[in-house]
Amino acid sequence: MIIFDNVVKRYPLGNVALDSVSFEIEDNDFVFLVGPSGAGKTTILRLLLREYAPTSGSIIVDDTDIASKSFKNISHLRQNLGVVFQDFKILSDRNVFENIAISLKVQDNNLDHTQLKDAVQKVLEMVNLPEKGMLFPAQLSAGELQRVAIARAIVGHRDIIIADEPTGNLDPKTTWEIMKLFKKIEGKKTIIIATHNTDIVNSLKKRVLVMKEGKLVKDIRKGGYEL
Amino acid sequence: MIGFFQSIRRAPYQFVAAFMVLFFTLFLITSLIITLSFIYGLLGYVETRPQVTVYFQTKALENDIFKIRDELVKTDKTTSVKYISKQQAFTIYKEANKDTPLLLETISADILPASLEIYAKTPQMLPEIANFLKDKQGVDEVYFQKDIVDRLINLTSILRYASLILFTFLIIMSIVVMTTTTMFKVALKKDEIELLQLLGATKFYIKKPYLKEGMGYGLIASGAVFIVVGFILVYAFPSLQTYFRGIPSLDLTFAPFPLRVWPMNVKFILIVFSIVTLFGMVIGLIASSLAVDKYLSK
Repeated sequence: MIIFDNVVKRYPLGNVALDSVSFEIEDNDFVFLVGPSGAGKTTILRLLLREYAPTSGSIIVDDTDIASKSFKNISHLRQNLGVVFQDFKILSDRNVFENIAISLKVQDNNLDHTQLKDAVQKVLEMVNLPEKGMLFPAQLSAGELQRVAIARAIVGHRDIIIADEPTGNLDPKTTWEIMKLFKKIEGKKTIIIATHNTDIVNSLKKRVLVMKEGKLVKDIRKGGYEL
Repeated sequence: MIGFFQSIRRAPYQFVAAFMVLFFTLFLITSLIITLSFIYGLLGYVETRPQVTVYFQTKALENDIFKIRDELVKTDKTTSVKYISKQQAFTIYKEANKDTPLLLETISADILPASLEIYAKTPQMLPEIANFLKDKQGVDEVYFQKDIVDRLINLTSILRYASLILFTFLIIMSIVVMTTTTMFKVALKKDEIELLQLLGATKFYIKKPYLKEGMGYGLIASGAVFIVVGFILVYAFPSLQTYFRGIPSLDLTFAPFPLRVWPMNVKFILIVFSIVTLFGMVIGLIASSLAVDKYLSK
């Protein structure tokens, strides 16, 4: 479970990125985080990743207050989070297998090659890339790269998937293919997607947290969204 | 292992820079260790030699020599006084020159002097013993080793401090150069490190490949030093043999276990190169660790 309680994030120059934001996300929930640029969507994701701490308030992830100054186990927190980015962040000098295996090795460095191979193959089948393990990023389309990024995010025991504009660089057809992948894992993991794409949000009818100027202005269950 | 060689292939100049500075450092460290070992061995050897040797004229009578020996013992300034007869001196001479028969042909026991080998209780008593002997009848020459020992102690002390300064300088220089070159490499891997951090990799997990690489550099550089110094020792061996002729062995006695320095032996060489390899690997480890820490702390 994720709880944001009165979270404020003020940057050193004084601009307020989040202003008293509070919400709760149940385990295995599917949530869209929407709002115009600068609304605070990415700040929420970064706070969840503990890239930085909030100015005040508390953020509880699985009963641990990650906003606390005494919280030091950032690696452990991140090992439970899968992250998908707009720009994929796929290592160009590694093949698909290695790009996914890196996520597993970070979680458990004692896995042998057979265990890695089995786990990676399983997740590649899940994202419909069963034959692409040995290919390098330069040999893949943008849609395929984002599938690899999703595979890397969901492999192993990562229970919370955070996606920051995952379809921002994709054409409409590929966008839907990627969303189908998220639908596939719905109910098995907590999914939080920050997006501008109104079509997707309105079609999928999931919970929507609407951000505006650093404030949570709406929390709509099975909702839609208009820009 | 594959990752290590891939890394060298991807950044060959970085490897060359790190290798050269480490090779230079380890080569000088090896040379200093070997030189110091020989000097300490030589010091130990000289210290075990009689501190005062008095040679008598060839016509001096044994009884007169024994009388002087007894007087010396009575002074209570000596720990031992050993008489070497003409015959014993000849035996020693024959042993020392067994490889040059020409020298043996012309010498007989008659022309070699008898001598007393004297060990003093304290070094301060050496001049008094020497003065006491100089005035005695039948004494030809008093050979006084204190100066040699003092000079060797002095030289060893200077060399030890100079080496310490040089060691420190070389090690700092290597660490700084290796840290800088590794930082370039780490900067090139910015995306990978950023991704690893987001995936939850621990600091040690991120550092591990760089630490291994640093240690690998140390290992390769010490291996190269081993080969080069090995060739130099083989080349210099005949000269060393001539230089240390008459000295049966040089040993290091301050070590936790006795170590023979001369004649050259596998144990000594392996110990020196184990120390140097350890030095190289530790330098590589520290430099890589500093480079990654510096990057991660940004």
